[in-house]
Amino acid sequence: MTIDDVLAQVRARLDLEADREHELLEEIRGHLQDAVDAAMARGLDPEAALAEAASRFGIVATTGELRRAHAGWGALDGVLAAAVPVVLALLFRWLIFAPDGTATGWREALNRPAFWVIAIISLLAPLARFRQRRAVLAVWALFWGLSLATALGGAVRW
Amino acid sequence: MSTRSRAEQAEDHTRSVDQMRKGTTALAILKLLADGEEPLHGYQIIRQLEARAGGQFHFNEGLIYPRLHQMEHEGLLHSAWEGQPGGRRRKVYRLTDEGRDRLAAELRQWRAFSLGMDAVLGLTEGV
Repeated sequence: MTIDDVLAQVRARLDLEADREHELLEEIRGHLQDAVDAAMARGLDPEAALAEAASRFGIVATTGELRRAHAGWGALDGVLAAAVPVVLALLFRWLIFAPDGTATGWREALNRPAFWVIAIISLLAPLARFRQRRAVLAVWALFWGLSLATALGGAVRW
Repeated sequence: MSTRSRAEQAEDHTRSVDQMRKGTTALAILKLLADGEEPLHGYQIIRQLEARAGGQFHFNEGLIYPRLHQMEHEGLLHSAWEGQPGGRRRKVYRLTDEGRDRLAAELRQWRAFSLGMDAVLGLTEGV
Protein backbone atom coordinates (compact mmCIF):
# COMPACT_ATOMS: atom_id res chain seq x y z
CA MET A 1 0.00 0.00 0.00
CA THR A 2 1.19 3.53 -0.79
CA ILE A 3 0.01 7.00 0.16
CA ASP A 4 -1.57 7.24 -3.30
CA ASP A 5 -3.59 4.11 -2.51
CA VAL A 6 -4.86 5.71 0.70
CA LEU A 7 -5.70 8.89 -1.16
CA ALA A 8 -7.57 6.84 -3.75
CA GLN A 9 -9.73 5.44 -0.93
CA VAL A 10 -10.39 8.97 0.30
CA ARG A 11 -11.19 10.20 -3.22
CA ALA A 12 -13.64 7.34 -3.75
CA ARG A 13 -15.65 8.56 -0.76
CA LEU A 14 -15.58 12.27 -1.60
CA ASP A 15 -17.97 13.84 -4.05
CA LEU A 16 -16.72 17.39 -4.37
CA GLU A 17 -15.76 19.79 -7.12
CA ALA A 18 -12.50 18.83 -8.82
CA ASP A 19 -10.50 21.83 -7.59
CA ARG A 20 -11.70 21.52 -4.01
CA GLU A 21 -11.13 17.77 -4.03
CA HIS A 22 -7.59 18.17 -5.39
CA GLU A 23 -6.74 20.69 -2.67
CA LEU A 24 -8.17 18.44 0.03
CA LEU A 25 -6.22 15.45 -1.20
CA GLU A 26 -2.99 17.46 -1.27
CA GLU A 27 -3.58 18.53 2.31
CA ILE A 28 -4.24 14.93 3.37
CA ARG A 29 -1.14 13.80 1.48
CA GLY A 30 0.96 16.18 3.56
CA HIS A 31 -0.63 14.91 6.74
CA LEU A 32 0.03 11.26 5.85
CA GLN A 33 3.64 12.01 4.88
CA ASP A 34 4.27 13.63 8.26
CA ALA A 35 2.50 10.83 10.11
CA VAL A 36 4.48 8.16 8.27
CA ASP A 37 7.76 9.97 9.00
CA ALA A 38 6.88 10.16 12.69
CA ALA A 39 5.95 6.47 12.85
CA MET A 40 9.16 5.45 11.05
CA ALA A 41 11.15 7.58 13.48
CA ARG A 42 9.62 5.41 16.22
CA GLY A 43 10.98 2.33 14.50
CA LEU A 44 8.10 1.11 12.36
CA ASP A 45 8.82 -0.13 8.85
CA PRO A 46 7.33 1.95 5.99
CA GLU A 47 4.34 -0.33 5.43
CA ALA A 48 3.40 -0.51 9.11
CA ALA A 49 3.96 3.24 9.43
CA LEU A 50 1.54 3.96 6.58
CA ALA A 51 -1.02 1.50 7.96
CA GLU A 52 -0.87 3.26 11.33
CA ALA A 53 -1.07 6.71 9.72
CA ALA A 54 -4.13 5.71 7.68
CA SER A 55 -5.79 4.14 10.69
CA ARG A 56 -5.23 7.18 12.91
CA PHE A 57 -6.43 9.46 10.14
CA GLY A 58 -9.75 7.62 10.02
CA ILE A 59 -10.70 7.55 6.35
CA VAL A 60 -14.39 6.69 6.70
CA ALA A 61 -15.21 9.11 9.52
CA THR A 62 -13.14 11.94 8.07
CA THR A 63 -14.46 11.73 4.53
CA GLY A 64 -18.02 11.72 5.87
CA GLU A 65 -17.33 14.87 7.86
CA LEU A 66 -15.53 16.48 4.91
CA ARG A 67 -18.50 15.80 2.63
CA ARG A 68 -20.85 17.34 5.18
CA ALA A 69 -18.57 20.30 5.86
CA HIS A 70 -18.17 21.14 2.17
CA ALA A 71 -21.70 20.30 1.06
CA GLY A 72 -23.29 23.19 -0.75
CA TRP A 73 -20.27 25.49 -0.75
CA GLY A 74 -19.85 25.15 -4.49
CA ALA A 75 -23.55 25.63 -5.14
CA LEU A 76 -23.65 28.75 -2.96
CA ASP A 77 -20.65 30.18 -4.72
CA GLY A 78 -22.39 29.50 -8.01
CA VAL A 79 -25.56 31.23 -6.87
CA LEU A 80 -23.53 34.23 -5.76
CA ALA A 81 -21.48 34.35 -8.91
CA ALA A 82 -24.62 34.38 -11.02
CA ALA A 83 -27.10 36.30 -8.90
CA VAL A 84 -25.11 39.26 -7.59
CA PRO A 85 -23.94 40.61 -10.97
CA VAL A 86 -27.41 40.03 -12.44
CA VAL A 87 -29.16 41.88 -9.64
CA LEU A 88 -26.74 44.77 -9.84
CA ALA A 89 -27.02 44.84 -13.62
CA LEU A 90 -30.80 45.09 -13.32
CA LEU A 91 -30.48 47.96 -10.85
CA PHE A 92 -27.88 49.64 -13.02
CA ARG A 93 -30.07 49.35 -16.07
CA TRP A 94 -33.05 50.66 -14.17
CA LEU A 95 -31.05 53.73 -13.13
CA ILE A 96 -29.88 54.41 -16.69
CA PHE A 97 -33.13 53.85 -18.52
CA ALA A 98 -36.56 55.08 -17.74
CA PRO A 99 -39.12 52.39 -16.83
CA ASP A 100 -40.41 52.46 -20.40
CA GLY A 101 -37.01 51.47 -21.75
CA THR A 102 -35.99 54.84 -23.14
CA ALA A 103 -32.81 56.64 -22.14
CA THR A 104 -34.53 59.88 -21.31
CA GLY A 105 -33.27 59.72 -17.73
CA TRP A 106 -29.60 59.36 -18.70
CA ARG A 107 -28.44 62.89 -17.91
CA GLU A 108 -30.43 62.90 -14.72
CA ALA A 109 -28.95 59.54 -13.70
CA LEU A 110 -25.41 60.89 -13.99
CA ASN A 111 -26.20 63.40 -11.28
CA ARG A 112 -27.46 60.79 -8.85
CA PRO A 113 -25.01 59.46 -6.24
CA ALA A 114 -26.93 56.17 -6.26
CA PHE A 115 -26.03 55.74 -9.92
CA TRP A 116 -22.32 55.90 -9.23
CA VAL A 117 -22.59 53.70 -6.14
CA ILE A 118 -24.43 50.98 -8.06
CA ALA A 119 -22.05 51.32 -10.99
CA ILE A 120 -18.97 50.87 -8.80
CA ILE A 121 -20.51 48.00 -6.83
CA SER A 122 -21.52 46.33 -10.11
CA LEU A 123 -17.91 46.40 -11.24
CA LEU A 124 -16.61 45.14 -7.90
CA ALA A 125 -19.29 42.47 -7.42
CA PRO A 126 -17.30 39.65 -9.04
CA LEU A 127 -14.60 40.21 -6.40
CA ALA A 128 -17.01 39.90 -3.48
CA ARG A 129 -17.06 36.76 -1.39
CA PHE A 130 -19.99 36.18 0.90
CA ARG A 131 -19.63 33.57 3.64
CA GLN A 132 -23.02 33.88 5.21
CA ARG A 133 -25.69 31.59 3.87
CA ARG A 134 -28.40 34.03 4.94
CA ALA A 135 -26.92 36.73 2.72
CA VAL A 136 -26.78 34.34 -0.21
CA LEU A 137 -30.40 33.36 0.26
CA ALA A 138 -31.42 37.00 0.50
CA VAL A 139 -29.66 37.76 -2.80
CA TRP A 140 -31.21 34.67 -4.35
CA ALA A 141 -34.70 35.75 -3.26
CA LEU A 142 -34.11 39.28 -4.56
CA PHE A 143 -32.93 37.96 -7.92
CA TRP A 144 -35.97 35.76 -8.42
CA GLY A 145 -38.29 38.42 -7.10
CA LEU A 146 -37.04 40.86 -9.71
CA SER A 147 -37.14 38.22 -12.43
CA LEU A 148 -40.73 37.28 -11.64
CA ALA A 149 -41.75 40.92 -11.43
CA THR A 150 -40.24 41.43 -14.86
CA ALA A 151 -41.95 38.40 -16.33
CA LEU A 152 -45.37 38.90 -14.77
CA GLY A 153 -45.63 42.67 -14.54
CA GLY A 154 -46.78 43.82 -17.95
CA ALA A 155 -46.33 47.48 -17.06
CA VAL A 156 -42.68 47.02 -16.15
CA ARG A 157 -40.34 46.99 -19.12
CA TRP A 158 -36.63 46.45 -18.60
CA MET B 1 -25.07 -2.41 43.40
CA SER B 2 -23.32 -1.71 40.13
CA THR B 3 -22.81 -4.60 37.76
CA ARG B 4 -20.91 -2.55 35.24
CA SER B 5 -17.42 -3.71 34.47
CA ARG B 6 -14.40 -1.50 34.86
CA ALA B 7 -13.96 -1.55 31.08
CA GLU B 8 -17.52 -0.28 30.59
CA GLN B 9 -16.96 2.49 33.12
CA ALA B 10 -13.71 3.45 31.41
CA GLU B 11 -15.51 3.50 28.08
CA ASP B 12 -18.21 5.77 29.52
CA HIS B 13 -15.53 8.07 30.89
CA THR B 14 -13.80 8.22 27.52
CA ARG B 15 -17.10 8.95 25.77
CA SER B 16 -17.95 11.67 28.26
CA VAL B 17 -14.56 13.36 27.92
CA ASP B 18 -14.84 13.04 24.14
CA GLN B 19 -18.22 14.78 24.13
CA MET B 20 -16.87 17.65 26.22
CA ARG B 21 -13.80 17.94 23.99
CA LYS B 22 -15.80 18.00 20.74
CA GLY B 23 -17.62 21.13 21.80
CA THR B 24 -14.39 22.91 22.56
CA THR B 25 -12.10 21.83 19.72
CA ALA B 26 -12.63 25.08 17.84
CA LEU B 27 -11.76 27.05 20.96
CA ALA B 28 -8.61 24.96 21.45
CA ILE B 29 -7.55 25.54 17.83
CA LEU B 30 -8.15 29.28 18.08
CA LYS B 31 -6.12 29.50 21.29
CA LEU B 32 -3.29 27.39 19.92
CA LEU B 33 -2.96 29.56 16.82
CA ALA B 34 -3.25 32.73 18.88
CA ASP B 35 -0.43 31.62 21.17
CA GLY B 36 1.95 30.74 18.35
CA GLU B 37 3.85 33.15 16.20
CA GLU B 38 3.92 30.98 13.09
CA PRO B 39 1.01 29.58 11.09
CA LEU B 40 0.58 25.83 11.54
CA HIS B 41 -0.54 23.00 9.29
CA GLY B 42 -3.08 20.38 10.32
CA TYR B 43 -0.60 17.76 11.50
CA GLN B 44 1.23 20.30 13.66
CA ILE B 45 -2.06 21.47 15.16
CA ILE B 46 -3.01 17.91 16.13
CA ARG B 47 0.38 17.15 17.67
CA GLN B 48 0.49 20.42 19.61
CA LEU B 49 -3.06 20.01 20.89
CA GLU B 50 -2.25 16.49 22.07
CA ALA B 51 0.94 17.74 23.72
CA ARG B 52 -1.04 20.44 25.53
CA ALA B 53 -3.65 17.91 26.60
CA GLY B 54 -0.94 15.81 28.23
CA GLY B 55 -2.52 12.57 27.10
CA GLN B 56 -5.96 13.43 28.53
CA PHE B 57 -7.59 13.79 25.12
CA HIS B 58 -7.25 11.69 22.01
CA PHE B 59 -7.92 13.57 18.78
CA ASN B 60 -9.24 11.69 15.78
CA GLU B 61 -6.60 13.05 13.45
CA GLY B 62 -8.53 13.33 10.21
CA LEU B 63 -11.48 15.07 11.83
CA ILE B 64 -9.39 18.17 12.49
CA TYR B 65 -9.54 19.01 8.75
CA PRO B 66 -13.30 19.47 8.32
CA ARG B 67 -13.19 21.59 11.48
CA LEU B 68 -10.35 23.73 10.10
CA HIS B 69 -12.15 24.14 6.78
CA GLN B 70 -15.36 25.13 8.51
CA MET B 71 -13.51 27.69 10.62
CA GLU B 72 -11.83 29.06 7.52
CA HIS B 73 -15.21 29.24 5.77
CA GLU B 74 -16.52 31.25 8.73
CA GLY B 75 -13.62 33.66 8.36
CA LEU B 76 -11.93 32.69 11.63
CA LEU B 77 -8.83 31.27 9.93
CA HIS B 78 -6.85 32.10 6.83
CA SER B 79 -4.92 29.42 4.96
CA ALA B 80 -2.01 29.49 2.55
CA TRP B 81 0.09 26.84 0.84
CA GLU B 82 3.77 26.54 1.71
CA GLY B 83 6.35 24.59 -0.25
CA GLN B 84 7.07 24.10 -3.91
CA PRO B 85 4.89 22.25 -6.40
CA GLY B 86 6.33 18.78 -6.84
CA GLY B 87 7.86 18.86 -3.37
CA ARG B 88 6.21 18.62 -0.02
CA ARG B 89 3.47 21.19 0.26
CA ARG B 90 1.62 22.12 3.43
CA LYS B 91 -1.53 24.13 3.89
CA VAL B 92 -0.92 26.31 6.92
CA TYR B 93 -3.50 28.17 8.95
CA ARG B 94 -3.31 31.40 10.87
CA LEU B 95 -5.84 33.33 12.89
CA THR B 96 -7.74 36.23 11.32
CA ASP B 97 -8.86 39.33 13.20
CA GLU B 98 -12.33 37.83 13.23
CA GLY B 99 -10.83 34.69 14.74
CA ARG B 100 -9.16 36.72 17.50
CA ASP B 101 -12.46 38.39 18.30
CA ARG B 102 -14.20 35.02 18.41
CA LEU B 103 -11.46 33.63 20.65
CA ALA B 104 -11.86 36.50 23.11
CA ALA B 105 -15.63 36.01 23.19
CA GLU B 106 -15.41 32.24 23.59
CA LEU B 107 -12.80 32.52 26.34
CA ARG B 108 -15.13 34.84 28.25
CA GLN B 109 -17.95 32.34 27.83
CA TRP B 110 -15.71 29.47 28.85
CA ARG B 111 -14.57 31.23 32.04
CA ALA B 112 -18.15 32.08 32.96
CA PHE B 113 -19.26 28.50 32.28
CA SER B 114 -16.32 27.06 34.20
CA LEU B 115 -16.93 29.30 37.21
CA GLY B 116 -20.61 28.47 37.13
CA MET B 117 -19.99 24.73 37.00
CA ASP B 118 -17.42 24.95 39.78
CA ALA B 119 -20.03 26.70 41.90
CA VAL B 120 -22.69 24.12 41.04
CA LEU B 121 -20.33 21.26 41.86
CA GLY B 122 -19.14 22.91 45.06
CA LEU B 123 -15.55 23.15 43.88
CA THR B 124 -15.06 26.84 44.48
CA GLU B 125 -13.84 26.39 48.06
CA GLY B 126 -11.11 24.00 47.07
CA VAL B 127 -11.18 20.24 46.94
